Amino acid sequence: MASVWTYMKMVFGWWNHATYGTLLYTARKGVPVGTDSFGNRYYQTADGKRRWVLYNGTVEGSRVPAEWHLWMHHTVDTPPAADMTKKSWEQDFLPNLSGTEGAYHPKGSLVRGGVRAPATGDYESWSPNA
Amino acid sequence: MPRKLIIDGKEIEAEDNLTLLQACEQAGAEIPRFCYHERLSVAGNCRMCLVEWVGAPKPQASCSLQVKDIFPNKDGTPARINTDSPVVRKAREGVMEFLLINHPLDCPICDQGGECDLQDQAMGYGRAAFHRFHENKRAVEDKYMGPLIKTQMTRCIQCTRCVRFATEIAGVPDLGATGRGEDMEITTYLEKAFSSELSGNVVDLCPVGALTSKPYSYTSRPWELKHTESIDIMDAQGCNIRVDTRGRAVMRILPRLNDDINEEWLHDKGRHIWDGLGRQRLDRPYVRKNGKLVPASWSDAFAVIAARVKATTPDRMAAIVGDLAAAEEIKALKDLMTRLGVPHLDCRQDGAKIGGGPRPAYLFNTTITGVEAADALLLIGCNPRWEAPVLNARIRKAWLNGPLKIASVGAPVDLTYPAEQLGTGVDVLNALADGSHPFAEVLRNAKRPMLILGGGALARPDGAVILHHAARIARETGIIGPAGTPAEGGWIGFNVLHTAASRVAALDLGFLPAPASEESPGGRDVAGIVEGAQKGEINFIYLLGADELPLENMGRPFVVYQGSHGDTGANYADVILPGAAFTEKDGLYANFEGRVQEAQRAVFPPGEAREDWAILRALSDVLGQKLPYDTLADLRRALVADLPQYGRLGQVPVWEGADPAVWNALGTDGVFTADVPMGQAIADYYLTNPIARASKVMADCSRELLHSDENKQAAE
Amino acid sequence: MLSDRDRIFTNLYGFEGADLESARRRGNWDGTKKLLDLGPEAIVDIMKKSGLRGRGGAGFPTGLKWSFMPKQVDPARPHYLVINADESEPGTCKDRDILRNDPHTLVEGALVASFAMRAHVAYIYVRGEFIREREALQRAVDEAYAARLIGKDNVHGWPFDLYVHHGAGAYICGEETALLESLEGKKGQPRLKPPFPANMGLYGCPTTVNNVESIAVAPTILRRGAEWFAGIGRPNNTGTKVFCISGHVNKPCNVEEAMGIPLKELIEKHAGGVRGGWDNLLAVIPGGASVPLIPKSVCDDILMDFDSLKAAQTGLGTAAVIVMDKSTDIVKAIQRLSYFYKHESCGQCTPCREGTGWMWRVMTRLQQGRAAVDEIDLLQEVTKQVEGHTICALGDAAAWPIQGLIRHFRPELERRIREYGALKAAE
Repeated sequence: MASVWTYMKMVFGWWNHATYGTLLYTARKGVPVGTDSFGNRYYQTADGKRRWVLYNGTVEGSRVPAEWHLWMHHTVDTPPAADMTKKSWEQDFLPNLSGTEGAYHPKGSLVRGGVRAPATGDYESWSPNA
Repeated sequence: MPRKLIIDGKEIEAEDNLTLLQACEQAGAEIPRFCYHERLSVAGNCRMCLVEWVGAPKPQASCSLQVKDIFPNKDGTPARINTDSPVVRKAREGVMEFLLINHPLDCPICDQGGECDLQDQAMGYGRAAFHRFHENKRAVEDKYMGPLIKTQMTRCIQCTRCVRFATEIAGVPDLGATGRGEDMEITTYLEKAFSSELSGNVVDLCPVGALTSKPYSYTSRPWELKHTESIDIMDAQGCNIRVDTRGRAVMRILPRLNDDINEEWLHDKGRHIWDGLGRQRLDRPYVRKNGKLVPASWSDAFAVIAARVKATTPDRMAAIVGDLAAAEEIKALKDLMTRLGVPHLDCRQDGAKIGGGPRPAYLFNTTITGVEAADALLLIGCNPRWEAPVLNARIRKAWLNGPLKIASVGAPVDLTYPAEQLGTGVDVLNALADGSHPFAEVLRNAKRPMLILGGGALARPDGAVILHHAARIARETGIIGPAGTPAEGGWIGFNVLHTAASRVAALDLGFLPAPASEESPGGRDVAGIVEGAQKGEINFIYLLGADELPLENMGRPFVVYQGSHGDTGANYADVILPGAAFTEKDGLYANFEGRVQEAQRAVFPPGEAREDWAILRALSDVLGQKLPYDTLADLRRALVADLPQYGRLGQVPVWEGADPAVWNALGTDGVFTADVPMGQAIADYYLTNPIARASKVMADCSRELLHSDENKQAAE
Repeated sequence: MLSDRDRIFTNLYGFEGADLESARRRGNWDGTKKLLDLGPEAIVDIMKKSGLRGRGGAGFPTGLKWSFMPKQVDPARPHYLVINADESEPGTCKDRDILRNDPHTLVEGALVASFAMRAHVAYIYVRGEFIREREALQRAVDEAYAARLIGKDNVHGWPFDLYVHHGAGAYICGEETALLESLEGKKGQPRLKPPFPANMGLYGCPTTVNNVESIAVAPTILRRGAEWFAGIGRPNNTGTKVFCISGHVNKPCNVEEAMGIPLKELIEKHAGGVRGGWDNLLAVIPGGASVPLIPKSVCDDILMDFDSLKAAQTGLGTAAVIVMDKSTDIVKAIQRLSYFYKHESCGQCTPCREGTGWMWRVMTRLQQGRAAVDEIDLLQEVTKQVEGHTICALGDAAAWPIQGLIRHFRPELERRIREYGALKAAE
């Protein structure tokens, strides 16, 4: 049964790998263009009109780094060079972290201890031990 | 005699004692102004109010030109005044340009921004199209004016409103202008604080951002604020205020116009205690367990009280009303205690020997506006400058405008007007009453004499004797006159000056010890309750915001403290019920004239705190003595049923004429404790109640304005 | 030219003593009783007929001013005469010589004028810098008291006290209401008018404020008759006047002359002519610092009296003729006057407080040429914005010299701007 289940996931699943259709299309028409730092592989058709990516792991749009995002959306036509140097002020690219451990929590959020800057409406309550 | 004028083509008749500016306003024309202010003398120096008098060679300053000085044209037609002609516009634009060339134009970082006269009028008369002043702007060093006023003197446009306020209204000539020409600066001369209880008003008067409120600085913008009209309860005058809030915080308090009470002034305590509303707040019930106060739920707290009440007989229970309570909760507490059969009730924390009689015996009967009609004034143990600063400004106004002779029995203080000092000895009252004192002659000869009894006199152990003698003086010297208002020929000059905002309402409601009868020895007053607690005869005390008591040496009675701030009462309480401060509930307050006004809720009480009447209503249910009102409206209906005047908001009782029996019976005829000099009711103006004591600003004021000498000595 | 016997101030130069004895020899205090016997109404009438116009600068008819005082004295509001000896106008020094050398003309005039106005008390407000003058005047007053010419119980039968008050030295205290404020012990700032001093003056009582010269000439006018005084000068500009000639003349001097004397004659005859000859004249300020200057072309045939100078868009003012020859940096001269007004502005009202400083700063730059040509128009507009919008006349006084400069010397201003620009461009 387990193998059938694995097979079913491979046929119908799309969230952690490319579907069979995509793989077939890639094998037939795909011209490899490059690989990014996450290991995602980028392809385009021979005439360059279609561009796509095979994710290395979770299929999640925000995992495409900024420079490849530009190429993917036809903003630029030359794919980013592998030896591209980063500007000193550039931060490392991070995919969307919502729902994960590293998700953003604002100041004063209970997850961060609930401590925030003083704001209008705050008051000092009396305490018998003070 | 009215005079005809044609203002902007509209013919009007104006009284000739008006200024042209006032006449123009009557005609519906708006005149811009900076230096002119209705309640100050005319300076005529900003030149913004220039108007055109057709035929006159130059534009005229309308604030200083009186209607009687405007003569008609040669052919007899009325003089024509234009307030919006090209000549006027040009003149005003010129003045505006001059005002702005040396103004820093730092509106984005100025606290006055959004409520600035200069900003508003620059919209109308500024020449936005060009800028042609290429010289350097003038910079002026900031001055120190005390803990309440922040200065940014580069913004000053030398209108001298603040100087005129200080000298004319406040009577503290600490402010003035030094230097001349463009080097003229407004200063306190000696870099000292502006030591007036009315100092905050110069901030309102300043048309620009030169003088701003120090505690309020950089906290909010005027357009963010929600305004709630309310009543000040820091003293018993009931000054009309506007509470400005943002979200759930009170950001500032400003005076509201009411010619009958505070004109447009507000004293510093009323204006600056708002930071006390956010400090030392009781925001949850507490119950004492094993000697320690621990947070509790409302039902637990009520259960503890109920158990204690069940275990105590009513004659061993007492209730005291504090100085800031509204009429509603006083009534609720009175009703609850009456149902429980408790005889020991009192509202006079200071021990004033007053109340129980008809209203005129404990009111400020002359009324605040009536003071202006008086021509002789006797102060007995009263320092109005601290007990009611805004009333003091009114007395000063009366002294400035007319022949008002003033004498004072009590500690010599600077009242901002001269008062003949009759010494601190109490015996002088005897001499005044029997006419042997020279000032008795002054009172007798005066058309409308008045006397004011202050807390310094009534709170003495022999307060009742002083009251008796004051009534005698009043009877002998014509202080008690015919019925009616001064305008109708009536007069009553007998006045009691209370300092607690709750006092008149509590006396009206009879929150006083139960009178003695055949069955019972009667209730105890505050001193009796304290003594009883020490002796163990009083085991249960309910404090409704009462903090001015010597709780530390009261033995171990069971104390329930209901109030908004953790002060003395909370520290010694066994159960704490968190109540609402005056900005957090709708409440009725009667001022010392007997005028009932409503303080409205501006924000909600913090945490689990509740409105005080609702707490008492809920407690009554737990105690099995359910009070018959479920809403504030029901409670007010019940209150008005008892006391009809509480249904007539804002009205002052009209003097109905003397009932000799009342005045003869006032106080007790006895012996003075003559060796005790007449003292003051208030030891520190800035720290008279729990809210003020929680306020950092008030603590700063007290330290810098009242105790600066001591600080200096300590430093040396 | 005025003949010697028509002179009122016969000891203007101090050739004789200033004491009472000498003054009597010169005719002062002669028959003063008879003058008072005329009665107040008649005195005011004679003063009106004489056509005397106030000598303090504004030229308001003196007799008319006296007649504004209430005819009945309210016992609670006594009348006061205040004599303005706060002579601080740059270029003016006529009162100074009267106080120094002919003080008895003033003391006698004070008595007569007070009588005419039903005042029993008069104050003389002496400029702070006038130390010796105050001493001389005080000496004269003491002499008059000692001789019972004035005082509570004097020979003239009109109880009269005269006080000399020494100011602290501020130009603005020469403005009549500022003078009253200063006399009352307050900050010397002009009052709003109306109410005028004749109604609400010193301590709120009816008061007349007169210039020293106006008061000092009164006894002589009364003695010699209104017709004599009115016969000198031109209609509406009658009598004699002390002219103060200073600046680039060979012999600067004070001289009493008939009103309406040609400016050229005044300078040539009394002041020894312009330094370097009449053709070396550049401009003249004819009435003290606060009136616009007039260039030589106007000076050639102008008459020195109120109306003809007014027609030339200037004024007689205090008749202080400041002569400037062609060596003068005319822009700097006016700039210095601007500084004076900026320094002496009391700071009370906005246009003067802010405007004088602005005008001075622009003038300073114009003097060097460090400005744009259109800033001349700006300056002109600023002066117009100050003029007529202030409480007192100091704003006008600050504006007029600059207006005069721009009116007559605009090419000079433009030349400087051009030259400075060329200099900058060359650098």
